[in-house]
Amino acid sequence: MMRAIHLVLPLSALLTGAALAHHGWGSYDATRPVTVTGPIMTSKFENPHATITVRGNDKTWTVTLAPISRMSSRGATAKVVAVGQTVSAYGYPSTAAADEMRAERITVDGKTYEMR
Amino acid sequence: MTDAAPAIFVALEQSGFAAAIRQSPWLYPAANVGHIVSLVVFAGAVAVMDIRLLGGLAATAPGRVLARARSFAVAALAGMAVTGFMLFSAEASHLALNPVFQLKAILVGAGLVNVALYEFSARREVDGLAPGASMPRRAKLAGALSLGIWIAAAACGRSIAYF
Repeated sequence: MMRAIHLVLPLSALLTGAALAHHGWGSYDATRPVTVTGPIMTSKFENPHATITVRGNDKTWTVTLAPISRMSSRGATAKVVAVGQTVSAYGYPSTAAADEMRAERITVDGKTYEMR
Repeated sequence: MTDAAPAIFVALEQSGFAAAIRQSPWLYPAANVGHIVSLVVFAGAVAVMDIRLLGGLAATAPGRVLARARSFAVAALAGMAVTGFMLFSAEASHLALNPVFQLKAILVGAGLVNVALYEFSARREVDGLAPGASMPRRAKLAGALSLGIWIAAAACGRSIAYF
């Protein structure tokens, strides 16, 4: 157990560093991760990033996903993020727009797709 | 899409042209790569011109070096304009309001004004100079401004995604 923690802590520190270094993440608050779960209300499977709106418990979130070629190569096709699907999106809220977040990963139908 | 942007940018983003760029899996990344490749060629050609204007490469005839580099710079600038317009169209309403994009647009404008001022005020004199002749002050100023402006414009371009 202790060994696992010793391994996980530096690894998570490393991954956080990578997240902060990635483009566009400057205007998202990585210290305040949120999980939004609900039905997909609108879906744009477009470059430079696919975007969905999700009706969460508190409000409707605009969830920024990944470039469409990356989405497709990881199995998160337009069908997976289509209107009417129920999604759980874990990510970071925008510091600029109150109801926008950028997803680190999404789960649809029990399957999790990494967005980065 | 944001309605806060001037109508022309909203309309551009909503055009079929912009939608086609967003919906294609390869058009947007291709424009991205094309923009950078054009930038690399442009930066190389402009650096040669600026160094010559500042008095470097002194053994060469300035008119000939500048003419050769200029043709590459103009072609690369055209490539950047086409690919840049594609990238801009896809997200026009947001980019028009992005402060770093606005700064970049101003810098590109300033860079082009600098070119125009050089063309009118110093080009004729510089083109007639022999190898080794010292450069007029206006030419040196244009070269120094050009280096600074275009590097700043490129830095802004790369920074747009972070703001």
